[in-house]
Amino acid sequence: MSALTLIARDELWLMRRSRVSVIAAALLIVLVVIAGITSVAHQSNVADTRARLQAQVDEEFDNQPSRHPHRMVHFGHFIFRPLPPLAAFDPGIDAFTGNAMFLEGHRQNSANFGDVRQSSILVRFGQLTPAFVLQTLAPLLIIFLGYGAVARERGAGTLRQLFMQGVSAGTLIAGKLLALATVAALIAIPAMSVLIFVAAQPGAAAGPIALTAAGYLTYLALWSIIVVLVSASVARPRNALLALLGLWSVTVILLPRIAPDLAATAVPQPTRLETDLTLQRELRAMGDSHNPDDPVFAAFKQRVLRQYGVRRVEDLPVNYKGLLAVEGERMTSELFDRYASEGFARQARQSATMDAIGTLSPAVAMRRLSMAAAGTDLAGHARFLDQAEAYRYDLVQRLNRLQADAVSFEDDAAKSSDTAAEQRSRIDPHHWHAMPDFHFAPPEPGDLVRRASPAAVMLLLWLLVPALLLAPAARRLEGVRS
Amino acid sequence: MTYHEPSGLPLLIANLVVDYGAHRVLNGLDLSIRPGEIYALLGGNGAGKSTTLAAIMGFVPPASGEVRVCGVAPGSAPVQARRAIAYLPENVALYEHLTARENIQYFLGISSERRTNAEIEAAFNAAGLQEDAFNRRVAGFSKGMRQKVAIALALLRHVPLVLLDEPTSGLDPRATQDFNRLLGGLRERGSAVLMVTHDLLSAADTADRIGFLDAGRIVQESVAEGPDRYDVRALHRHFARPVAA
Repeated sequence: MSALTLIARDELWLMRRSRVSVIAAALLIVLVVIAGITSVAHQSNVADTRARLQAQVDEEFDNQPSRHPHRMVHFGHFIFRPLPPLAAFDPGIDAFTGNAMFLEGHRQNSANFGDVRQSSILVRFGQLTPAFVLQTLAPLLIIFLGYGAVARERGAGTLRQLFMQGVSAGTLIAGKLLALATVAALIAIPAMSVLIFVAAQPGAAAGPIALTAAGYLTYLALWSIIVVLVSASVARPRNALLALLGLWSVTVILLPRIAPDLAATAVPQPTRLETDLTLQRELRAMGDSHNPDDPVFAAFKQRVLRQYGVRRVEDLPVNYKGLLAVEGERMTSELFDRYASEGFARQARQSATMDAIGTLSPAVAMRRLSMAAAGTDLAGHARFLDQAEAYRYDLVQRLNRLQADAVSFEDDAAKSSDTAAEQRSRIDPHHWHAMPDFHFAPPEPGDLVRRASPAAVMLLLWLLVPALLLAPAARRLEGVRS
Repeated sequence: MTYHEPSGLPLLIANLVVDYGAHRVLNGLDLSIRPGEIYALLGGNGAGKSTTLAAIMGFVPPASGEVRVCGVAPGSAPVQARRAIAYLPENVALYEHLTARENIQYFLGISSERRTNAEIEAAFNAAGLQEDAFNRRVAGFSKGMRQKVAIALALLRHVPLVLLDEPTSGLDPRATQDFNRLLGGLRERGSAVLMVTHDLLSAADTADRIGFLDAGRIVQESVAEGPDRYDVRALHRHFARPVAA
């Protein structure tokens, strides 16, 4: 057995002899296992629930009786965001963003029913998921197990004794690192099992899962290196523990939690109320697309009359009110899209700020990698909102065109005062069946990997820095006088 | 391990200068020890005894001069030089969670040396460690017992150079006598021994040469001669005189 493996074996043996270490490691492994099982079960449950609710609301929409098409525009439709398979490992912001959207005409609603609104406040601290345990708790265990790895030898005087047996500081550090990395690998085994399970699920893609696995292994290796580096650089084990706990508190607990606030301060986002008020002001200026005589739409009216070569809307071969609804929806949607684009642009700048903060914390980089690869980050949510809006616009415009084509202008105009006209303005329910259902198109695996790449690069840089610092730390250790 | 030192000396120090910042600790130290020779380096506090050992082990770099351990400069090749050295600090540090035997096995393993259980027990016996202590954790060992474990390790490693830092400090007279007998064993094996000590009597008992270190250099050297070996009174007079300014 080489000196390196002998040092690693002795370090592991020492950890095994410590009841506190063994219990702590066992607890964390059990936590990962429980987090894996509950997370997979939760993901499966949520996916089933959302699929069932989606089928239910689709059926309700399809089974609506004969109605005026614009009633259906306001009746609206619910859609649910399906969870990606890797959400079982890292649900990301799913609990915070809401997962159901009510789609209707003239409005662009936001998603609702996030878990944080229905669960204990503890959800805000962090759900018990494999990602949370690995990102937050695993580094803590690595710190407790490894802070004394080298500092203890120095404090006990065995460091010089070891060197006098002809072992180099590099070999000593590598041996301690091997021991700590072995424990980290033990912690990672149940988490990697969850990833293998996820990989076997329908719709799971190998690329993002492999990147997630590599990311977490890098993250644990990084913490192992940091712990050994600090342990080799300070005079006493107690100092090593204090320094490492400080580092953990700042980079794992504090920065990831204040990073969004810092990003929000750097790139302020108007509140929901402010946005709604401004939006409503602009909407009012757009006129009322329900009113065929609204002066805002006078130019549109003239264009339509010219297009069809008639002088009055009553002479049009189609229902002018339907055409007006199509135009009104186009205009309001443009407005909504502009607001949404501005909002996403600000969020993208906030994300860039978060990336910058990621340089200060490997946990932020790890979190961003994990969520991006899982498709549970802000970009994943934005993709859902984009598709939801595209679907809403298409659905509403189909209904508006039905109003234009299947309902006469006379009946439409008289329906509020004439019962027979009102009855005639209702169209057959088979039209509702003809409306397409919402099917979320998940991102391509390559897109997920590409989105996670900046955080992966950041994590590798984080790995590189302490790894490079090990060599000078070993040189300083070689010259140790006590 | 084979060493190729033209002089054949396990330890050769020539005109060694070591500074700690602005403070010159060793100032032109010359010292060489032959195989099988026991050299006692005496000196007052701050004379540079511990720094001499640290320089030999490669823990402090020389400002100038030369240190060679079996032909290897510890400053530039510390790992190679240390493989030729067994070091007994004043307070022997061992792994408290291991038994005496496991400590030996671990340190031997680290230095890539293999010894049978019988060889380890023979070394324990030679070092005077009681048999019931072989498989006991060293956590409860006295200073003398720890030294015996370290001596056993030195015996098992067959190194050309043994460095002892205040080896008899804190030992009772009988344990000191036992220890001195062990040094004889090391001499018979051909190991060179450099002993840094305050204990003039022990040095006079065992050392072939005694050097007095003062202000970073050897100011007087005595060689054991005749049945009485040394004039202890003269040695004591020299040892007790005021140190150089």
